[in-house]
Amino acid sequence: MVQYNFKKITVVPTGKDFIDIILSRTQRQTPTVVHKGYAISRLRQFYMRKVKYTQQNFHEKLSAIIDEFPRLDDIHPFYGDLLHVLYNKDHYKLALGQINTARNLIGKISKDYVKLLKYGDSLYRCKSLKVAALGRMCTVIKRVSPSLAYLEQIRQHMARLPSIDPNTRTILICGYPNVGKSSFINKITRADVDVQPYAFTTKSLFVGHTDYKYLRYQVIDTPGILDRPFEDRNIIEMCSITALAHLRAAVLFFLDISGSCGYNIAQQAALFHSIKSLFMNKPLIVVCNKTDLQPLDGLSEEDMKLVVEMKAEAMKTVIGQGGEATDSDEVLLTMSTLTEEGVIAVKNSACERLLNQRVELKMKSKKINDCLNRFHVAVPKKRDEKERPPCIPQAVLEAKAKEAADIEKRKLERDLENENGGAGVYSASLRKHHILADEEWKEDIMPEILDGHNVYDFIDPDILQRLEELEREEGLRLEQEVDNDDFEMDGKELTPEEQEALAEIRKKKSLLIQQHRIKKSTAESRPTVPRKFDKERKFSSERMGRQLSALGLDPTSAINRARSNSVPMRGRKRERSLAKGDDGNDAMDMDVDQSSKKLRMMSRSRSRSTSRPPGEVVPGEGYRDSKQKVHAMKLAKKSVKKRNKDARRGEADRVIPTLRPKHLFSGKRGIGKTTRR
Amino acid sequence: MPQGDYIDLHRKRHGYRHDHFERKRKKEAREVHKQSAIAQKALGIKGKMFAKKRYAEKALMKKTLAMHEESSSRRKVDDEVHEGALPAYLLDRETTTRAKVLSNTIKQKRKEKAGKWEVPLPKVRPVAEDEMFRVIRSGKRKTKQWKRMVTKATFVGPSFTRKPPKYERFIRPTGLRFTKAHVTHPELKCTFNLEIIGVKKNPNGQMYTSLGVITKGTIIEVNVSELGLVTPAGKVVWGKYAQVTNNPENDGCINGVLLV
Repeated sequence: MVQYNFKKITVVPTGKDFIDIILSRTQRQTPTVVHKGYAISRLRQFYMRKVKYTQQNFHEKLSAIIDEFPRLDDIHPFYGDLLHVLYNKDHYKLALGQINTARNLIGKISKDYVKLLKYGDSLYRCKSLKVAALGRMCTVIKRVSPSLAYLEQIRQHMARLPSIDPNTRTILICGYPNVGKSSFINKITRADVDVQPYAFTTKSLFVGHTDYKYLRYQVIDTPGILDRPFEDRNIIEMCSITALAHLRAAVLFFLDISGSCGYNIAQQAALFHSIKSLFMNKPLIVVCNKTDLQPLDGLSEEDMKLVVEMKAEAMKTVIGQGGEATDSDEVLLTMSTLTEEGVIAVKNSACERLLNQRVELKMKSKKINDCLNRFHVAVPKKRDEKERPPCIPQAVLEAKAKEAADIEKRKLERDLENENGGAGVYSASLRKHHILADEEWKEDIMPEILDGHNVYDFIDPDILQRLEELEREEGLRLEQEVDNDDFEMDGKELTPEEQEALAEIRKKKSLLIQQHRIKKSTAESRPTVPRKFDKERKFSSERMGRQLSALGLDPTSAINRARSNSVPMRGRKRERSLAKGDDGNDAMDMDVDQSSKKLRMMSRSRSRSTSRPPGEVVPGEGYRDSKQKVHAMKLAKKSVKKRNKDARRGEADRVIPTLRPKHLFSGKRGIGKTTRR
Repeated sequence: MPQGDYIDLHRKRHGYRHDHFERKRKKEAREVHKQSAIAQKALGIKGKMFAKKRYAEKALMKKTLAMHEESSSRRKVDDEVHEGALPAYLLDRETTTRAKVLSNTIKQKRKEKAGKWEVPLPKVRPVAEDEMFRVIRSGKRKTKQWKRMVTKATFVGPSFTRKPPKYERFIRPTGLRFTKAHVTHPELKCTFNLEIIGVKKNPNGQMYTSLGVITKGTIIEVNVSELGLVTPAGKVVWGKYAQVTNNPENDGCINGVLLV
């Protein structure tokens, strides 16, 4: 059986559009230039190709339409009937039949004209034959355009039909209009069905899904059915009748015992008895709705009798499935969708009965025997008569009990909100649990701007203390610098190990400088490719620390200095850096983790105050003055710019990435001829 | 509202955007400029098609505008003069009109004798022999050129059998043989697809008539039993003459007008 997907049918174009599409495609995709002087066979072939190409395209598109529209006999009878009810099977078949004949006619036209083209002896004759052929094909389509319009409408409607799976677990809800079917489905599923006080609010089938025992059930809401003879029913009612007739589902027949739907119980019972033939072999539950208006016990005698009759009918279905005759609770249920009492019970009961029925059927069918052989439920054999219940530690049980009590005792914020007027009225005080030095400060309003500054920028509880520390450190550092200068002046005071260390440090430094000079390049003298960060992690402060300790020196102050000068620290305020200087270990290990962009942004030049202005050029290197040097630099940059834009590695790079790009070597021109490329 | 009508459902529940109608109005107002941009920029075949469509639209617009502008004004009504109505000063004279009622068959016989027919296409472009026939070379060395192949549409009749190919002088290829014609009734203005019974006369020559070649202006006889015509005497008419009005070899079909 072909699988149909109603939502995936291709759009059916109108007659005119169809013709336009195909003719313009022929004009674009076949050769367009031909001259009188060509050999006659070439002329014939040129025009024959056009005729055949047009016919092929028509054939393709019409075949697509015919294949994608479902054949009413091939799909599930539920859908077949539903489509018949909605669109009238005969019209539908006629329309598709017309498309089919159109397709055959176009094939015949093409064959005839290709035969005639073989006798064409001049350009004019061949051309006229081609014009006649295409014209006839288009006339065929023009004649069929009302069918195309009709099919397009059907397609649009079909694509919006609710996706009902006829083979899965289904619960069907039926009854008179306005009894509360849509409210029920709104309660148990997420389907948002319109509920209005007038009858026939629901005009088509609605689907919702609900879960029970880890299985998904689809719940189908039908439009209300009136008690009429079968022939008088309109399309809307026929939809529900179709669903009842073809779907193997659990049926919930809704009864409005309060009579507020406008029909009394006698009428509803009459309806029940007239359609009870449709309930054959289906688990049936009679649901009395709107018990908040009228409880079941308060019904009058005759009404009670009618209800009992219906229950008896429903019991028959239970017996028919092999259930016990005493289970009267399951067949007649009461509920109220307004107060939500009994709604879940109805759903559970319906799901349970449907599940049992399906399981039974499956057990009885032949297919199960294949599977049964493969199952084996292994139960451990009893060793002795000793009881071995599951072992739960006492502490766990106590904790659970306490938690339960706790949850009951604790008042939630939500309850508080509901008490004080609801979501829009009450706003919770978020600072209720704040821990402050003085309890009265909890509800104080914090100022945000003071004297033109943001208050938060200046907040720190230990601000005075930090200021002192900072000044102390600053003083220390100045002294240290002076000491260091003095230190370096007399190198004789170094011990041999220190001298060795110094020599090593200097050697390492010169190596680094050389490396850096080799790699140094500005963006202008190198093709602009994105800068990758130091992947080998050669320049981290940890590594420096390790190397210094290998040499025998204490690395902590050097690390601190490096860290305070590092890029993420440069933009920071002085207090922070001081504080971080103390606990150097949990300082940010950010030199490796920062993105390169961020690093570049907070570059060293920004924090320097005595560096050179950005545009200044130092005269020297053989130039007369700065101006000449600037001019030379400009010339250098200019000569390199074009190469960089072409992503060339240098002067000698002449690689062509693609030798024959497709867009230059193929395709027709929008207007004009393609005699040269 | 069906479950799948999401747009309508949303509109029903939430209404339209606050500026929806204004935007819609403005967009429609901009369509005019867009159309004109397209009309100016579209080139080639697309431009021609667009221009044609637009011309038709404009003609229709002008008509509707004219219709709206029609005012109910009073105009002088001309009394229609009936044919044969006599002016007042001649009314007294008795004029006897004598007319001979001639039956259709007599009329046709007279016309046939005169050899003149009233046909829709009295004059037709003459077709030369080298246009009508193509020379087929035959023989062992392909030097003999006595065979000819007809290049126009032909009609051969149902009981036609070829002469033995060796002796056949005029070849009428099967691909160019037609059996049906699209004949228009001049008064009813509708076209029927009728079978050809025979070729009556080809204006280019008697040889072509005998060969059954159909070109523009040829008189053919068609089977009109479909139309259900009856003579005054009560006999069913099943054959009538029609004249061919197109070039069948260029169009692949024979179109004609019925001669009533």
